[in-house]
Amino acid sequence: MRRGAAFASLLDEALAGLWRARRVTVVSILQISFSLFLVGLFLLAAENLGGVVDTLREETAVTVYLRSGADEASKAALERTALASRLVAAVRRVSAEEARGRFARSFGNLTEAAGTLSGNPFPASVELDLLPGAISSAALRPFLANLAASPAVEEVQFDVDWVRRLRGVVRLVAAAGVAAGTFLALGAAFTIANVVRLTILLHRDEIDILRLVGAPEVLIRGPFLLGGVLQGLLGGLVALGLLAVAFRGLLFFVASTENVLLGVFVVRFLSPAVCGILVLGGTLAGLLGGTIASRRGHV
Amino acid sequence: MIEFYRVSKEYHGRRVLKNLSFQIAQGEFVFLTGPSGAGKTTVLKLLYRAEGPGEGQILVNGRNVGAMSPGRVPELRRTMGIVFQDYKLLPSRTVFENVSFVLKFLGVPLAERRRRAYHVLRMVELHHRANALPEELSGGEQQRVALARALVNEPELLIADEPTGNLDHRLAQEVMRLFSQINVRGTTVLVATHDVNLIRETGRRCLTLDRGGVLEGLVEAALPPQASWRRESGVKLPPREEETR
Repeated sequence: MRRGAAFASLLDEALAGLWRARRVTVVSILQISFSLFLVGLFLLAAENLGGVVDTLREETAVTVYLRSGADEASKAALERTALASRLVAAVRRVSAEEARGRFARSFGNLTEAAGTLSGNPFPASVELDLLPGAISSAALRPFLANLAASPAVEEVQFDVDWVRRLRGVVRLVAAAGVAAGTFLALGAAFTIANVVRLTILLHRDEIDILRLVGAPEVLIRGPFLLGGVLQGLLGGLVALGLLAVAFRGLLFFVASTENVLLGVFVVRFLSPAVCGILVLGGTLAGLLGGTIASRRGHV
Repeated sequence: MIEFYRVSKEYHGRRVLKNLSFQIAQGEFVFLTGPSGAGKTTVLKLLYRAEGPGEGQILVNGRNVGAMSPGRVPELRRTMGIVFQDYKLLPSRTVFENVSFVLKFLGVPLAERRRRAYHVLRMVELHHRANALPEELSGGEQQRVALARALVNEPELLIADEPTGNLDHRLAQEVMRLFSQINVRGTTVLVATHDVNLIRETGRRCLTLDRGGVLEGLVEAALPPQASWRRESGVKLPPREEETR
């Protein structure tokens, strides 16, 4: 037996089988596409939220607000403590005047209101850029508490908690996506199994004849198994196409609304690896469905 | 080629075959006959292992069919061609596809499939109908397609279960002529039929199953008077139809 030719025959028969039951096949492919599309949406949301969190974390600096009467020696001691902590990459002093200038640049409309106040209401500060990995270090909290206890320090501001909470939300979204995806993929596998079973019923006579003429079992069941795999693969590819269209549509919407906040959240499509996993997931669901349907007892 | 040794078979407590023994040599053309329910189809099913024997031993080309594992059955069947009374053709496939799809599943390339299908269709004189669907053919033509399908894999043994049951006498004779041709080429042929006239006309060795569906022994009947084995068995044959009138 020539294996290449036999496989070509299997593929040919699998495609012919799907074509003969094309209406049910289309329903099956659409169902798996819908399932994977939803999974993809979750993953897309998680990917972009994760990106936002990473950006925020990279951009987050610890701001140490100084008391108005803090002397130079205290400020220098503060900087030495920070650099010696192995959590800080760089320190940067921001004078009260510099802080006022930043405010004016960021909130131009409110500059006049700030001007009505007596004196400069903006405190001087020291900004600390954290080293990569410092945010998740157990030493960070004691370090910040130590800074806050310094007599030169009015307040230490670091929004690590909301960054952590946001990361938790991202993890939850991703986990929900995987859970929903698993559930929906199993449903899709069940649908594929039914489609394959229907195809088997349509080909009952052929199967009987093939058995009688001594066709090997693998060649009898192979087209049905392959049919399931093809449905899953097509479902995965269609889902990926729908996701790409949806993503482009969203980008277009964001661009047209000129909403800066939305622009922050919609920045990138799924990575090639995640795209591959999505299509592979569909293929595996198809394989599962095909395997269930073409077990020896059913064919 | 085929050896049955004290084979018995029961269906739901009803004994269909009892201590059945016979042999068929390589290259023989043998009829298996008997009344309805005598166990003709059962004997054939035992041969291609659609059924397992209750007791006894069945050898096909030296292989013990009864003891064969299910995984070896396809290999056994590839040495046989099987023809059914109801043809078992695939209605949605053309004559060519019906004949060649078995080869397709066995991985035979298209050019070789075409060559072999054309060869057997020519043998049964249906090569000009290769693109027709089964419903466009007469009963005799459909049976010839079924025969072509059975022959396309060049079997050592051809088994036919009531192949002329749905055909008129002229078409039945035509099909028998084809069986004879195939047998001349060296293929062993076993045909189950209850058509005594056909057996008589074909003039081949005949095995008869009897005793109201329960076989207790095998009666070998020679239909043509010149056959030596008829003289040995001394079995009286049913008279020809015209003789009864």
